[in-house]
Amino acid sequence: MTKLEAKNIVKHFDHNGNSVLALDGIDLKVEEGDFVCIVGPSGCGKSTFLNIVAGLEKPDTGEILLNGKSITTAGPDRTMVFQEGALFPWLKVIDNVEFGLKIAGIPKDERSQISQRYLDMMQLTKFANSYTYQLSTGMKQRVAIARALVMDPEILLMDEPFAALDAQTRDLLLVELQLIWERTKKTILFVTHSISESVILGNRVVVFKNRPAKIKKEITIDYRRPRLAEDENLVKYQQMILAELKTEVRAQMKREFEE
Amino acid sequence: MRGKIAAKKIAFYAGIIVVWQIVFSLNIWSVHIFPSPVQVAQDLAYGVADGSLIFAIATSMWRLVVGLIISIAGGITLGIFMARIESVNQTIGSLVLGLQSVPSVAWVPLALLWFGLTDAGIIFVTVASSLFAVTINTYSGMKNVPTSYIAAARNMGASGVQLITHVMLPAAFPYLISGFKQGWAFAWRGVIGAEIIFSFLGLGFLLNVGRELNDISQVIATMLVIMVIGILIDGLVFKKIERKVMSRWGLA
Repeated sequence: MTKLEAKNIVKHFDHNGNSVLALDGIDLKVEEGDFVCIVGPSGCGKSTFLNIVAGLEKPDTGEILLNGKSITTAGPDRTMVFQEGALFPWLKVIDNVEFGLKIAGIPKDERSQISQRYLDMMQLTKFANSYTYQLSTGMKQRVAIARALVMDPEILLMDEPFAALDAQTRDLLLVELQLIWERTKKTILFVTHSISESVILGNRVVVFKNRPAKIKKEITIDYRRPRLAEDENLVKYQQMILAELKTEVRAQMKREFEE
Repeated sequence: MRGKIAAKKIAFYAGIIVVWQIVFSLNIWSVHIFPSPVQVAQDLAYGVADGSLIFAIATSMWRLVVGLIISIAGGITLGIFMARIESVNQTIGSLVLGLQSVPSVAWVPLALLWFGLTDAGIIFVTVASSLFAVTINTYSGMKNVPTSYIAAARNMGASGVQLITHVMLPAAFPYLISGFKQGWAFAWRGVIGAEIIFSFLGLGFLLNVGRELNDISQVIATMLVIMVIGILIDGLVFKKIERKVMSRWGLA
Protein backbone atom coordinates (compact mmCIF):
# COMPACT_ATOMS: atom_id res chain seq x y z
CA MET A 1 0.00 0.00 0.00
CA THR A 2 1.26 3.47 -0.85
CA LYS A 3 1.76 5.48 2.32
CA LEU A 4 2.92 8.73 0.82
CA GLU A 5 2.72 10.11 -2.66
CA ALA A 6 4.19 13.33 -3.99
CA LYS A 7 2.66 14.42 -7.27
CA ASN A 8 4.49 16.84 -9.52
CA ILE A 9 5.77 19.11 -6.72
CA VAL A 10 7.01 22.44 -8.10
CA LYS A 11 8.50 25.16 -5.91
CA HIS A 12 10.08 28.50 -6.75
CA PHE A 13 12.26 30.57 -4.47
CA ASP A 14 12.78 34.25 -4.32
CA HIS A 15 16.51 34.89 -4.64
CA ASN A 16 17.55 38.56 -4.68
CA GLY A 17 14.28 39.47 -6.34
CA ASN A 18 14.56 36.73 -8.97
CA SER A 19 12.31 33.73 -8.98
CA VAL A 20 14.46 30.60 -8.95
CA LEU A 21 13.05 27.16 -9.69
CA ALA A 22 13.99 24.94 -6.73
CA LEU A 23 11.89 21.82 -7.26
CA ASP A 24 11.02 20.89 -10.81
CA GLY A 25 8.18 18.42 -10.65
CA ILE A 26 9.04 15.83 -8.02
CA ASP A 27 7.07 12.59 -8.23
CA LEU A 28 7.70 10.09 -5.49
CA LYS A 29 5.85 7.16 -3.97
CA VAL A 30 6.74 5.71 -0.60
CA GLU A 31 5.25 2.33 0.26
CA GLU A 32 4.08 1.49 3.76
CA GLY A 33 6.93 0.31 5.97
CA ASP A 34 9.57 1.35 3.46
CA PHE A 35 12.78 3.14 4.32
CA VAL A 36 13.52 5.69 1.60
CA CYS A 37 16.57 7.92 1.50
CA ILE A 38 16.83 11.05 -0.59
CA VAL A 39 20.43 11.94 -1.35
CA GLY A 40 21.69 14.98 -3.19
CA PRO A 41 24.25 17.77 -3.05
CA SER A 42 23.90 20.46 -0.40
CA GLY A 43 21.37 23.11 -1.27
CA CYS A 44 19.69 21.01 -3.95
CA GLY A 45 16.23 21.44 -2.47
CA LYS A 46 15.85 18.07 -0.74
CA SER A 47 15.12 19.71 2.62
CA THR A 48 12.58 21.98 0.96
CA PHE A 49 10.91 18.90 -0.44
CA LEU A 50 10.80 17.33 3.02
CA ASN A 51 9.33 20.53 4.48
CA ILE A 52 6.60 20.40 1.86
CA VAL A 53 5.84 16.79 2.78
CA ALA A 54 5.68 17.91 6.43
CA GLY A 55 3.31 20.71 5.47
CA LEU A 56 5.68 23.35 6.80
CA GLU A 57 6.03 24.87 3.33
CA LYS A 58 3.53 25.04 0.50
CA PRO A 59 4.36 23.91 -3.04
CA ASP A 60 3.56 26.22 -5.97
CA THR A 61 1.83 23.34 -7.73
CA GLY A 62 1.39 19.65 -7.09
CA GLU A 63 0.10 17.80 -4.08
CA ILE A 64 1.08 15.47 -1.29
CA LEU A 65 -1.12 12.48 -0.57
CA LEU A 66 -0.96 10.60 2.71
CA ASN A 67 -2.86 7.31 2.62
CA GLY A 68 -4.43 8.65 -0.58
CA LYS A 69 -5.69 11.84 1.04
CA SER A 70 -4.39 15.26 0.10
CA ILE A 71 -2.70 17.13 2.91
CA THR A 72 -1.95 20.84 3.11
CA THR A 73 -1.07 21.61 6.73
CA ALA A 74 1.57 20.48 9.21
CA GLY A 75 0.57 17.70 11.56
CA PRO A 76 1.77 15.04 13.95
CA ASP A 77 0.97 12.27 11.45
CA ARG A 78 4.24 13.32 9.74
CA THR A 79 6.65 14.12 12.56
CA MET A 80 10.11 15.29 11.64
CA VAL A 81 13.55 14.95 13.16
CA PHE A 82 15.34 18.20 12.39
CA GLN A 83 19.02 18.55 11.59
CA GLU A 84 19.68 20.78 14.58
CA GLY A 85 17.30 18.86 16.82
CA ALA A 86 15.15 21.91 17.58
CA LEU A 87 14.56 20.67 21.12
CA PHE A 88 13.02 23.11 23.56
CA PRO A 89 15.62 24.21 26.12
CA TRP A 90 13.01 25.23 28.72
CA LEU A 91 11.70 21.67 28.97
CA LYS A 92 13.24 18.59 30.54
CA VAL A 93 14.00 15.68 28.23
CA ILE A 94 10.80 13.89 29.27
CA ASP A 95 8.69 17.00 28.66
CA ASN A 96 10.31 17.49 25.28
CA VAL A 97 9.40 13.92 24.39
CA GLU A 98 5.82 14.40 25.65
CA PHE A 99 5.35 17.78 23.96
CA GLY A 100 3.21 16.61 21.05
CA LEU A 101 1.11 14.39 23.33
CA LYS A 102 0.46 17.33 25.64
CA ILE A 103 -0.55 19.51 22.70
CA ALA A 104 -2.93 16.75 21.63
CA GLY A 105 -4.54 16.91 25.09
CA ILE A 106 -3.57 13.42 26.21
CA PRO A 107 -3.83 13.01 30.02
CA LYS A 108 -0.65 12.88 32.09
CA ASP A 109 -0.77 9.19 33.08
CA GLU A 110 -1.14 8.07 29.51
CA ARG A 111 1.55 10.51 28.40
CA SER A 112 4.14 9.16 30.79
CA GLN A 113 3.28 5.59 29.82
CA ILE A 114 3.91 6.33 26.15
CA SER A 115 6.99 8.48 26.69
CA GLN A 116 8.53 5.86 28.98
CA ARG A 117 8.45 3.35 26.16
CA TYR A 118 10.32 5.61 23.76
CA LEU A 119 12.75 6.93 26.36
CA ASP A 120 13.56 3.28 26.95
CA MET A 121 13.92 2.55 23.26
CA MET A 122 16.31 5.48 22.79
CA GLN A 123 18.18 4.63 26.03
CA LEU A 124 17.30 7.99 27.55
CA THR A 125 15.67 6.85 30.79
CA LYS A 126 18.61 8.07 32.86
CA PHE A 127 18.36 11.52 31.26
CA ALA A 128 14.59 11.95 31.54
CA ASN A 129 14.95 14.82 34.00
CA SER A 130 17.93 16.53 32.36
CA TYR A 131 17.71 19.74 30.44
CA THR A 132 18.95 19.83 26.86
CA TYR A 133 21.99 21.99 27.62
CA GLN A 134 23.29 19.09 29.72
CA LEU A 135 23.21 16.67 26.75
CA SER A 136 25.72 15.89 24.01
CA THR A 137 24.72 16.42 20.39
CA GLY A 138 24.18 12.68 19.97
CA MET A 139 21.93 12.54 23.04
CA LYS A 140 19.95 15.49 21.74
CA GLN A 141 19.27 13.68 18.47
CA ARG A 142 18.09 10.63 20.42
CA VAL A 143 15.62 12.90 22.21
CA ALA A 144 14.54 14.37 18.88
CA ILE A 145 13.88 10.87 17.51
CA ALA A 146 11.96 9.86 20.63
CA ARG A 147 9.93 13.07 20.44
CA ALA A 148 8.97 12.29 16.84
CA LEU A 149 8.21 8.58 17.41
CA VAL A 150 6.02 9.26 20.43
CA MET A 151 3.36 10.69 18.12
CA ASP A 152 3.15 7.31 16.36
CA PRO A 153 3.31 9.08 12.97
CA GLU A 154 2.13 7.59 9.69
CA ILE A 155 5.54 8.46 8.30
CA LEU A 156 8.71 9.60 10.04
CA LEU A 157 10.57 12.41 8.29
CA MET A 158 14.25 12.91 8.98
CA ASP A 159 16.17 15.94 7.74
CA GLU A 160 19.91 15.21 7.92
CA PRO A 161 19.58 14.28 11.59
CA PHE A 162 23.12 12.93 11.89
CA ALA A 163 24.96 15.65 9.96
CA ALA A 164 26.30 17.38 13.07
CA LEU A 165 27.44 14.24 14.90
CA ASP A 166 30.94 12.89 15.32
CA ALA A 167 31.72 9.73 13.33
CA GLN A 168 31.45 7.21 16.19
CA THR A 169 28.15 8.53 17.48
CA ARG A 170 26.78 8.62 13.97
CA ASP A 171 27.77 5.03 13.18
CA LEU A 172 26.10 3.90 16.40
CA LEU A 173 22.88 5.78 15.63
CA LEU A 174 22.86 4.47 12.05
CA VAL A 175 22.65 0.93 13.43
CA GLU A 176 20.14 1.87 16.11
CA LEU A 177 17.88 3.58 13.63
CA GLN A 178 17.74 0.40 11.55
CA LEU A 179 16.80 -1.60 14.63
CA ILE A 180 14.12 0.92 15.56
CA TRP A 181 12.76 0.82 12.04
CA GLU A 182 12.53 -2.99 12.18
CA ARG A 183 10.93 -2.86 15.60
CA THR A 184 8.37 -0.13 14.96
CA LYS A 185 7.76 -0.92 11.27
CA LYS A 186 7.54 2.80 10.61
CA THR A 187 7.64 4.26 7.13
CA ILE A 188 10.70 6.52 7.01
CA LEU A 189 11.68 9.23 4.56
CA PHE A 190 15.27 10.26 5.27
CA VAL A 191 17.10 13.16 3.65
CA THR A 192 20.91 13.29 3.63
CA HIS A 193 23.84 14.57 1.62
CA SER A 194 25.94 11.60 2.77
CA ILE A 195 26.05 8.78 0.25
CA SER A 196 27.29 6.25 2.80
CA GLU A 197 24.44 7.11 5.15
CA SER A 198 21.91 6.66 2.38
CA VAL A 199 23.12 3.18 1.41
CA ILE A 200 23.36 2.01 5.01
CA LEU A 201 19.81 3.11 5.79
CA GLY A 202 17.74 3.01 2.65
CA ASN A 203 15.78 0.22 1.04
CA ARG A 204 15.49 2.68 -1.77
CA VAL A 205 17.84 5.57 -2.44
CA VAL A 206 16.47 8.44 -4.50
CA VAL A 207 19.14 10.63 -6.08
CA PHE A 208 18.23 14.29 -6.52
CA LYS A 209 19.62 16.29 -9.38
CA ASN A 210 20.69 19.79 -8.58
CA ARG A 211 19.10 23.16 -9.37
CA PRO A 212 16.35 22.68 -10.14
CA ALA A 213 15.94 19.50 -8.14
CA LYS A 214 14.57 16.56 -10.03
CA ILE A 215 14.78 12.87 -9.35
CA LYS A 216 17.74 11.63 -11.33
CA LYS A 217 17.86 7.99 -10.37
CA GLU A 218 16.51 5.45 -7.95
CA ILE A 219 18.49 2.56 -6.55
CA THR A 220 17.04 -0.36 -4.67
CA ILE A 221 19.33 -1.79 -2.03
CA ASP A 222 18.39 -5.34 -1.15
CA TYR A 223 20.90 -6.23 1.49
CA ARG A 224 20.77 -7.74 4.96
CA ARG A 225 20.38 -5.60 8.09
CA PRO A 226 21.59 -4.18 10.28
CA ARG A 227 24.10 -2.78 7.82
CA LEU A 228 27.30 -1.46 9.28
CA ALA A 229 29.20 1.60 8.13
CA GLU A 230 32.33 -0.43 7.42
CA ASP A 231 30.59 -3.12 5.34
CA GLU A 232 32.52 -3.41 2.06
CA ASN A 233 29.60 -4.90 0.21
CA LEU A 234 27.91 -1.52 0.36
CA VAL A 235 30.73 0.13 -1.58
CA LYS A 236 29.33 -0.85 -4.98
CA TYR A 237 26.05 0.90 -4.16
CA GLN A 238 27.96 3.94 -3.00
CA GLN A 239 29.86 4.01 -6.26
CA MET A 240 26.68 3.81 -8.28
CA ILE A 241 25.32 6.83 -6.48
CA LEU A 242 28.60 8.68 -6.56
CA ALA A 243 28.73 8.26 -10.34
CA GLU A 244 25.34 9.95 -10.53
CA LEU A 245 26.25 12.72 -8.14
CA LYS A 246 29.71 13.47 -9.49
CA THR A 247 28.39 15.22 -12.55
CA GLU A 248 26.00 17.08 -10.28
CA VAL A 249 28.67 18.26 -7.90
CA ARG A 250 30.87 19.32 -10.81
CA ALA A 251 28.04 21.26 -12.39
CA GLN A 252 27.35 22.90 -9.06
CA MET A 253 30.98 23.92 -8.55
CA LYS A 254 31.17 25.27 -12.07
CA ARG A 255 28.07 27.36 -11.44
CA GLU A 256 29.40 28.66 -8.17
CA PHE A 257 32.68 29.70 -9.76
CA GLU A 258 30.87 31.48 -12.53
CA GLU A 259 28.51 33.33 -10.21
CA MET B 1 37.61 33.52 44.73
CA ARG B 2 34.17 34.55 45.93
CA GLY B 3 35.50 35.26 49.41
CA LYS B 4 38.24 37.41 47.89
CA ILE B 5 35.73 39.51 45.97
CA ALA B 6 33.59 39.92 49.09
CA ALA B 7 36.64 40.95 51.12
CA LYS B 8 37.53 43.52 48.46
CA LYS B 9 34.01 44.95 48.59
CA ILE B 10 33.95 45.14 52.39
CA ALA B 11 37.33 46.88 52.42
CA PHE B 12 36.10 49.35 49.80
CA TYR B 13 32.95 50.34 51.68
CA ALA B 14 34.79 50.45 55.01
CA GLY B 15 37.29 52.77 53.31
CA ILE B 16 34.50 55.08 52.16
CA ILE B 17 33.14 55.31 55.70
CA VAL B 18 36.60 56.01 57.12
CA VAL B 19 37.29 58.76 54.55
CA TRP B 20 33.81 60.15 55.21
CA GLN B 21 34.49 60.29 58.94
CA ILE B 22 37.90 61.94 58.38
CA VAL B 23 36.42 64.60 56.09
CA PHE B 24 33.69 65.21 58.67
CA SER B 25 36.31 65.61 61.46
CA LEU B 26 38.08 68.30 59.42
CA ASN B 27 35.04 70.51 60.01
CA ILE B 28 35.07 72.02 56.52
CA TRP B 29 31.29 72.20 56.20
CA SER B 30 28.54 72.80 58.72
CA VAL B 31 26.93 69.74 60.22
CA HIS B 32 23.68 70.71 58.45
CA ILE B 33 25.31 70.16 55.10
CA PHE B 34 27.67 67.30 55.83
CA PRO B 35 26.63 64.81 58.54
CA SER B 36 28.90 62.17 60.04
CA PRO B 37 28.42 58.45 59.32
CA VAL B 38 27.41 58.03 62.95
CA GLN B 39 24.60 60.59 62.62
CA VAL B 40 23.28 58.84 59.53
CA ALA B 41 23.45 55.48 61.30
CA GLN B 42 21.62 56.94 64.30
CA ASP B 43 18.95 58.28 61.98
CA LEU B 44 18.53 54.84 60.42
CA ALA B 45 18.29 53.22 63.86
CA TYR B 46 15.77 55.82 64.96
CA GLY B 47 13.65 55.29 61.83
CA VAL B 48 13.62 51.55 62.45
CA ALA B 49 12.85 51.97 66.16
CA ASP B 50 9.85 54.27 65.72
CA GLY B 51 8.71 52.30 62.67
CA SER B 52 8.60 55.30 60.31
CA LEU B 53 11.33 53.90 58.06
CA ILE B 54 9.82 50.42 58.00
CA PHE B 55 6.42 51.87 57.15
CA ALA B 56 7.92 53.99 54.38
CA ILE B 57 9.74 50.98 52.90
CA ALA B 58 6.57 48.91 53.04
CA THR B 59 4.54 51.68 51.39
CA SER B 60 7.03 52.19 48.55
CA MET B 61 7.47 48.46 47.99
CA TRP B 62 3.72 47.91 47.92
CA ARG B 63 3.29 50.60 45.24
CA LEU B 64 6.25 49.18 43.32
CA VAL B 65 4.92 45.62 43.36
CA VAL B 66 1.39 46.59 42.31
CA GLY B 67 2.73 48.84 39.56
CA LEU B 68 5.19 46.24 38.35
CA ILE B 69 2.57 43.48 38.23
CA ILE B 70 0.34 45.69 36.10
CA SER B 71 3.30 46.59 33.86
CA ILE B 72 4.36 42.98 33.41
CA ALA B 73 0.86 41.75 32.62
CA GLY B 74 0.13 44.70 30.33
CA GLY B 75 3.57 44.77 28.72
CA ILE B 76 3.54 41.06 27.86
CA THR B 77 0.06 41.33 26.36
CA LEU B 78 0.94 44.42 24.36
CA GLY B 79 4.25 42.90 23.24
CA ILE B 80 2.52 39.73 22.01
CA PHE B 81 0.00 41.71 19.96
CA MET B 82 2.75 43.87 18.49
CA ALA B 83 4.77 40.80 17.52
CA ARG B 84 1.83 38.88 16.06
CA ILE B 85 -0.14 41.60 14.26
CA GLU B 86 1.90 43.82 11.99
CA SER B 87 -0.55 46.73 11.92
CA VAL B 88 -0.57 46.83 15.73
CA ASN B 89 3.21 47.08 15.61
CA GLN B 90 3.11 49.84 12.99
CA THR B 91 0.62 51.93 14.98
CA ILE B 92 0.75 51.20 18.72
CA GLY B 93 4.36 50.03 18.38
CA SER B 94 5.52 53.45 17.23
CA LEU B 95 3.61 55.09 20.08
CA VAL B 96 5.24 52.71 22.59
CA LEU B 97 8.69 53.72 21.36
CA GLY B 98 7.75 57.38 21.81
CA LEU B 99 6.29 56.89 25.29
CA GLN B 100 9.34 54.89 26.35
CA SER B 101 11.43 58.05 25.92
CA VAL B 102 9.26 60.08 28.35
CA PRO B 103 11.12 60.34 31.70
CA SER B 104 9.10 58.87 34.56
CA VAL B 105 8.74 62.12 36.55
CA ALA B 106 7.25 63.76 33.47
CA TRP B 107 4.15 61.62 34.14
CA VAL B 108 3.68 63.10 37.62
CA PRO B 109 1.72 66.28 36.73
CA LEU B 110 -0.69 64.22 34.65
CA ALA B 111 -1.07 61.68 37.46
CA LEU B 112 -1.75 64.45 39.97
CA LEU B 113 -4.44 65.98 37.78
CA TRP B 114 -6.09 62.64 37.05
CA PHE B 115 -5.80 60.87 40.40
CA GLY B 116 -5.01 63.59 42.97
CA LEU B 117 -2.86 62.74 45.98
CA THR B 118 -3.64 59.02 46.00
CA ASP B 119 -1.83 55.70 45.83
CA ALA B 120 -3.45 55.24 42.42
CA GLY B 121 -1.62 58.34 41.15
CA ILE B 122 1.77 57.02 42.25
CA ILE B 123 1.04 53.55 40.90
CA PHE B 124 0.03 55.18 37.62
CA VAL B 125 3.46 56.82 37.40
CA THR B 126 5.13 53.48 38.26
CA VAL B 127 3.24 51.70 35.49
CA ALA B 128 3.93 54.46 32.98
CA SER B 129 7.64 54.25 33.85
CA SER B 130 7.99 50.50 33.40
CA LEU B 131 5.24 49.28 31.06
CA PHE B 132 7.01 50.12 27.82
CA ALA B 133 10.32 48.51 28.73
CA VAL B 134 8.46 45.24 29.36
CA THR B 135 6.50 45.69 26.11
CA ILE B 136 9.55 46.32 23.95
CA ASN B 137 11.50 43.39 25.40
CA THR B 138 8.55 41.03 25.00
CA TYR B 139 8.21 42.15 21.39
CA SER B 140 11.92 41.54 20.62
CA GLY B 141 11.79 38.18 22.36
CA MET B 142 8.78 37.05 20.34
CA LYS B 143 10.42 38.26 17.12
CA ASN B 144 13.65 36.41 17.86
CA VAL B 145 12.19 32.97 18.54
CA PRO B 146 14.27 30.54 16.42
CA THR B 147 12.20 29.48 13.42
CA SER B 148 13.21 25.86 14.04
CA TYR B 149 11.28 25.88 17.36
CA ILE B 150 8.15 27.06 15.61
CA ALA B 151 8.58 24.56 12.78
CA ALA B 152 9.07 21.73 15.30
CA ALA B 153 6.02 22.77 17.33
CA ARG B 154 3.80 23.04 14.24
CA ASN B 155 5.14 19.70 13.12
CA MET B 156 3.94 18.17 16.40
CA GLY B 157 0.50 19.66 15.98
CA ALA B 158 0.69 23.00 17.81
CA SER B 159 -1.12 25.96 16.28
CA GLY B 160 -2.59 29.35 17.11
CA VAL B 161 -2.65 30.21 20.81
CA GLN B 162 -0.77 27.00 21.72
CA LEU B 163 2.17 28.21 19.64
CA ILE B 164 2.27 31.41 21.67
CA THR B 165 1.80 29.90 25.13
CA HIS B 166 3.79 26.68 24.70
CA VAL B 167 6.60 27.80 22.42
CA MET B 168 7.01 31.50 21.69
CA LEU B 169 6.65 32.83 25.24
CA PRO B 170 8.94 30.24 26.85
CA ALA B 171 11.43 30.66 24.00
CA ALA B 172 11.32 34.42 24.56
CA PHE B 173 11.83 34.03 28.32
CA PRO B 174 15.44 35.34 28.38
CA TYR B 175 14.15 38.53 26.75
CA LEU B 176 11.20 38.69 29.12
CA ILE B 177 13.57 38.49 32.09
CA SER B 178 15.63 41.41 30.86
CA GLY B 179 12.34 43.24 30.28
CA PHE B 180 11.30 42.59 33.90
CA LYS B 181 14.71 43.70 35.10
CA GLN B 182 14.60 46.93 33.15
CA GLY B 183 10.96 47.39 34.09
CA TRP B 184 11.74 47.00 37.78
CA ALA B 185 14.61 49.52 37.58
CA PHE B 186 12.40 52.08 35.84
CA ALA B 187 9.51 51.36 38.22
CA TRP B 188 11.73 51.91 41.26
CA ARG B 189 12.89 55.28 39.91
CA GLY B 190 9.27 56.11 39.06
CA VAL B 191 7.93 55.29 42.54
CA ILE B 192 10.57 57.34 44.37
CA GLY B 193 10.33 60.25 41.94
CA ALA B 194 6.54 60.34 42.21
CA GLU B 195 6.64 60.08 46.01
CA ILE B 196 9.01 63.06 46.24
CA ILE B 197 6.67 65.25 44.21
CA PHE B 198 3.40 63.84 45.57
CA SER B 199 4.93 64.02 49.07
CA PHE B 200 2.43 61.37 50.12
CA LEU B 201 4.02 58.61 52.25
CA GLY B 202 6.82 56.27 51.20
CA LEU B 203 10.60 56.64 50.93
CA GLY B 204 10.31 59.56 48.50
CA PHE B 205 8.17 61.33 51.09
CA LEU B 206 10.86 60.77 53.75
CA LEU B 207 13.40 62.37 51.40
CA ASN B 208 11.14 65.35 50.91
CA VAL B 209 10.46 65.72 54.64
CA GLY B 210 14.21 65.55 55.30
CA ARG B 211 14.74 68.40 52.87
CA GLU B 212 11.95 70.50 54.41
CA LEU B 213 13.30 69.98 57.93
CA ASN B 214 16.87 70.60 56.81
CA ASP B 215 17.62 67.13 58.18
CA ILE B 216 20.57 66.07 56.04
CA SER B 217 21.14 62.78 57.88
CA GLN B 218 17.59 61.68 57.14
CA VAL B 219 18.07 62.52 53.46
CA ILE B 220 21.27 60.53 53.22
CA ALA B 221 19.90 57.67 55.33
CA THR B 222 16.86 57.39 53.05
CA MET B 223 19.03 57.48 49.93
CA LEU B 224 21.10 54.66 51.36
CA VAL B 225 17.96 52.61 51.97
CA ILE B 226 16.79 53.22 48.38
CA MET B 227 20.17 52.13 47.06
CA VAL B 228 20.38 49.03 49.25
CA ILE B 229 16.89 47.90 48.23
CA GLY B 230 17.96 48.32 44.61
CA ILE B 231 21.08 46.23 45.11
CA LEU B 232 19.20 43.54 47.01
CA ILE B 233 16.40 43.11 44.47
CA ASP B 234 18.84 43.12 41.59
CA GLY B 235 21.18 40.65 43.26
CA LEU B 236 18.74 38.37 45.02
CA VAL B 237 15.92 38.25 42.50
CA PHE B 238 17.08 39.09 39.01
CA LYS B 239 20.72 37.93 38.98
CA LYS B 240 19.61 34.49 40.20
CA ILE B 241 16.82 34.09 37.69
CA GLU B 242 19.02 35.40 34.92
CA ARG B 243 21.87 33.02 35.66
CA LYS B 244 19.52 30.04 35.72
CA VAL B 245 17.72 31.03 32.53
CA MET B 246 20.89 31.84 30.62
CA SER B 247 22.50 28.47 31.31
CA ARG B 248 19.34 26.48 30.65
CA TRP B 249 18.58 28.28 27.41
CA GLY B 250 22.19 27.68 26.39
CA LEU B 251 23.08 31.38 26.31
CA ALA B 252 25.74 31.42 29.03
